[in-house]
Amino acid sequence: MLEIIGLIIKISIVVGVTQGAVAYLILVERKIAAFSQDRIGPNRVGPLGLLQPIVDGVKMFLKEDVTPNYVNKPIFILAPFLSIVTAMIGFAVVPFGPVGPNGPGLFDGPIQFQIAPGIDIGLLYIFAVGSLAVYGVILAGYSSNNKYSFLGGLRSSAQIISYEIPMGLSVLGIVLLASSLDLNTIIQWQDKNAWGIFVQPLGFFIFLICAFAETNRLPFDLPESEQELVGGFHTEYSSMKFGMFFLGEYLHVITVSFLVVILYLGGWDPPFVSLGDSGWLMAILKVGTLITKVLAMIVFVMWIRWTLPRFRYDRLMELAWKRMIPLAIGNTVVTALILQLIRR
Amino acid sequence: MSVQSTVRPEWTVVIDPVLQKELEQHIFVTNWPKLLEMIDTVYNWGRRSSLWPLGFGLACCAIEMICSACSRFDISRFGAEVFRGSPRQADVMIVSGTVTKTMMPMIARLYDQMPEPKYVISMGACASGGGPFKEGYNVVSGIDKYLPVDVYVPGCPPTPQALLNGLIALQKKIDGESLADAVWYKPEVERDIPVPVLGPDLIDVRFLEITAEKTAQGVLDAIQADMPKPLIIPAPQPEKAEEPAAAQASAAAAPMSAADKLRAKMGGAKPAEAPAAEAPKPAAKPAAPAKKIKKAEARPSLVWLGNDKLKALSDRLNGEFGAGTSTIIEAGLLIPADRLLAVGKFLRDDRSTRYDYLASLQSVHYEDCIEVNYHLDSTVHPGTLIELRVRTDEAEGKGEVPSLTDIWPGAEFQEREVFDMMGVRFKGHPNLTRILMWEGYAYYPLRKDFLEPYYEGPTKVFDSRVEEGHGHHFRSEELNPYGTNLKIPRGYEDWDKLSSNDDVKGKNLMPGGVQISELETDQFVVSMGPQHPSTHGVFRMNLRVDGETVVGLKPVMGYMHRNHEKIGERNTYLMNFPFTDRLDYLTSMGNNFGYALAVEQLMGDDAKVPERAEYIRVIMAELTRVASHMWAIGFFLNDIGAFFTPALYAIEERELILDLFEWASGSRMMCNYFRFGGVAFDLPKGWKERCHKFVYDRLDGKIDELDKLLTGNEILLDRCKGIGALTAEQAIAWSTAGPVLRASGVNYDIRRAAPYSIYDRFDFNVIVGKNGDLFDRYYVRLQEMRESVKILKQAVRDLPEGPILPGKKSYQIKVPAGEAYSRVENPKGELGYYVVSDGSATAYRYHVRSPSFINLTSLETMCVGATVADVVGILGSLDIVLGEVDR
Ligand code: SF4
Repeated sequence: MLEIIGLIIKISIVVGVTQGAVAYLILVERKIAAFSQDRIGPNRVGPLGLLQPIVDGVKMFLKEDVTPNYVNKPIFILAPFLSIVTAMIGFAVVPFGPVGPNGPGLFDGPIQFQIAPGIDIGLLYIFAVGSLAVYGVILAGYSSNNKYSFLGGLRSSAQIISYEIPMGLSVLGIVLLASSLDLNTIIQWQDKNAWGIFVQPLGFFIFLICAFAETNRLPFDLPESEQELVGGFHTEYSSMKFGMFFLGEYLHVITVSFLVVILYLGGWDPPFVSLGDSGWLMAILKVGTLITKVLAMIVFVMWIRWTLPRFRYDRLMELAWKRMIPLAIGNTVVTALILQLIRR
Repeated sequence: MSVQSTVRPEWTVVIDPVLQKELEQHIFVTNWPKLLEMIDTVYNWGRRSSLWPLGFGLACCAIEMICSACSRFDISRFGAEVFRGSPRQADVMIVSGTVTKTMMPMIARLYDQMPEPKYVISMGACASGGGPFKEGYNVVSGIDKYLPVDVYVPGCPPTPQALLNGLIALQKKIDGESLADAVWYKPEVERDIPVPVLGPDLIDVRFLEITAEKTAQGVLDAIQADMPKPLIIPAPQPEKAEEPAAAQASAAAAPMSAADKLRAKMGGAKPAEAPAAEAPKPAAKPAAPAKKIKKAEARPSLVWLGNDKLKALSDRLNGEFGAGTSTIIEAGLLIPADRLLAVGKFLRDDRSTRYDYLASLQSVHYEDCIEVNYHLDSTVHPGTLIELRVRTDEAEGKGEVPSLTDIWPGAEFQEREVFDMMGVRFKGHPNLTRILMWEGYAYYPLRKDFLEPYYEGPTKVFDSRVEEGHGHHFRSEELNPYGTNLKIPRGYEDWDKLSSNDDVKGKNLMPGGVQISELETDQFVVSMGPQHPSTHGVFRMNLRVDGETVVGLKPVMGYMHRNHEKIGERNTYLMNFPFTDRLDYLTSMGNNFGYALAVEQLMGDDAKVPERAEYIRVIMAELTRVASHMWAIGFFLNDIGAFFTPALYAIEERELILDLFEWASGSRMMCNYFRFGGVAFDLPKGWKERCHKFVYDRLDGKIDELDKLLTGNEILLDRCKGIGALTAEQAIAWSTAGPVLRASGVNYDIRRAAPYSIYDRFDFNVIVGKNGDLFDRYYVRLQEMRESVKILKQAVRDLPEGPILPGKKSYQIKVPAGEAYSRVENPKGELGYYVVSDGSATAYRYHVRSPSFINLTSLETMCVGATVADVVGILGSLDIVLGEVDR
């Protein structure tokens, strides 16, 4: 019973925090845009414009929700929900802090900073769920019955097919090293040995690039690409349905940032110092480290958006199939070889 | 919902009045209105602070709208920087610019697609009431004829600050709204706007019956029949040997004085009978002593082949193709229509002539004929410009001339324009359809006998509109029986065939396609624009795509056709300056320059520009070039996906240049600074120093910074190299101009090819590219800015003291009769003004050779085979401005 209550609490915390975070990330994005363009950014509502996300939310909620009569209704309505839900459920296996028997105790057991601790195929699960997210986009593009949306949907499906593969291949290196698919184990391995980025630089690079493609962020925001396709897959969406796509996109950014940090940037392991294993203080420090890293990663993602031009669709495919997949395979093979040699 | 009283209903429990009082003191919400008030606060707060504008711009005002997003003004402070491309996600429609009839159905549709609650800001004089273009035949006199407007922002254009003020006004308005009376929750209130129809004119379906009725009565025709008509003159005839040129002025008008003639123009044959209210002031003046109309020196342009060589060429043509092939008229060669193709081919291919570049093509409506004339230049022997004339039947719709598209493909759009405006058919043209107006429009508007719906008299200024003593101020609407800008031929019958779902503008321009892949794939047509984030205004492209590959493309334009040329024929010469500002609204100084040169060419020595003014002109023109190229590069980057950051950096420099303009001329964008023979005002004190500082200390560094940050970027290179390439031959054949032509490796810059003003004194290089792809166009522009800075440095250094006008400032410009074609190297390419003067106060014919328009002719060639993303980049690399494309 307690366990279930704990679980529900954890879920609510995660959902609440991420939703709130997403709202604020939009503000952060706007501020970063302003910063990189030498502007001020929203500052009229609340101190420093801090209430801007709330205002936007209120407005979106109260806006007329148009469902054009030429769309395929059920799918049109389903799509934004899909995009949010799939982005959310990935969090089930993300460790937000230390997991294991040594966690700080509460009631009769250690707290696990993970909704579903001990899933040893965590990584697989994330990939599986992550690739579902594209359905939101494809279905939106398909059901809108609008040519821009349709092109956006097409682009998205092609993109996801291309980028899932190198992404999956690129993490094999670190998985081999840590000999586990469990995210927690991977962090612990990094804590003991070295961060993934140092032992798997190439893997990190490929993963990062694929992560951008996965989240549909510039320079890979092809399904949306405002300058070409107006709004791409969400051209026909208004009000909160559009808002959900917006939220979904940022949720995705968060998930992916978590993954990058966990797989390659040492997770909750802070640089230079090593934290002890038990106790509340350590746990909080670890959670703090992880969150800081994730935030930094998110800012990085946004910074890129406001800096670079967009790839062309076919070049993107080329990049995936002709460059990244061979590189990722090579990376896996080399890692495996070296491991074999060392172990021997 | 409408419970207003605080009286408690009977069925409630009775409570002690003392208790109730206490309760009311301590409990916040005691009744409906109070609750509503509280909800309203939140409700309004949400909407007021998150007004996302629809990302669409109509005309010049849109530039200021974009500027309001840049760092100096920063509309994002109000949370309103989220310009949405899709109407479904927008809250406020900023109608920024001239609303044309061609565009109006689209605007109505966009408005209908916006979800409630929605607001409309009408930005600028045009959107609010038609503005300077009000009397144009394709202009809607104010968006409020169709949409409910919340806030009007005055100005032409309103500065970005004014727009921000408008936004704040809208916020205040929202603050005053209440859920209780929000119209969008009232199902009985119809908020959608019926989409008007493009028929014989723009027809508002709400008034269909009354329109049909009035049309059948022919009320407008009756009124206009009595109005003074514009004068129509006979075409110039070949010179008889030895007669003084002055006597040759158009035969009918020759003995008249200028004033007589003007009067004749006003009043047709019977000036005395013209109603007093309509007769313009000059008519009432006492006649000046009779004197002959002065005649300008006959030459097609300032730099041209020359009389002797033209004579030789004419003789040669007569020898080659038989006598009568070529007659010299006013320094142009009159060619019979049936020999035009042969002559054209000869002129293009012959070694000694090599007229491979069709600079410009236009038409003039004379009493006895319609003349189509062609200005040809050679990229091999630049500066040997000649003019060919072809004459055809004057009667409406009868004229026919062979199409030259096979010889100079660049003639394609220009011939379509002549067809659209004058009704001359071109035999052999691949796709002779209307280009600026829509198929089905009832008139050929540039014919001299076409009177616009708001026609009042042949010359502006019209009489005062204030009835003395009555305090009544009447508007042009009241002069038109329809009460709006509408004119339909009396015999029009097909009222029930009109349908607002008909895409009359684009349906003839559906691109065909070819099968490109071996797989059986479906192709479909996407219509990009006229409202699209990256068509740089209201431009539209019909794309046929196979997946992402473009297999066919047809540009559709005219959504911003605001009748510049027709209006220009009623403006006095001086009055037309501010209109030229609004052609390519990013380069107003350059536009002024070209127009001044054209009229100065006619005025000859009367308008000799003093030294100081020459320098000031060059400084202004080059500053304009830097500003325009900055904008072009910034938005090109934006088009290939670098989201606004480079653009906003580039705008920063532009802003500094605009400051200089504003200081010197009084306006940021629409400078109206040049005058015939000089400039309007001398530079203010301190201007030169500030300009000196800017040019010497800042610009170079900033250009280097752009270069450093952008040029080496891999994604940029990947997107640009080898895309949208034009070979040198293609670029010449398509009549492209400016950076587009030079990027293809053609060394042709009017400043060097046909030098004007004092450009021959400066040391600068003509930048030439190699491959003619996107990258070269980008890089040519970048380097051209460096050359401009070089010129600027010399000009600012050498700027002499002295007068800025040849004589006193004058508002009465006398322009001798004749023809002139001026050419300047504007940032977008060769800008030409063709002016025919009959010696009166207004130009008889006024045509603009617009580089943006003609550069678009090659768009199809460049885009077919590319991808959708490339098309956006290619369009960006052409750097078009719709004000100039559609005029
Ligand atoms: S002419 Fe141009 S600047 Fe003036 S109001 Fe109209 S659109 Fe705006």
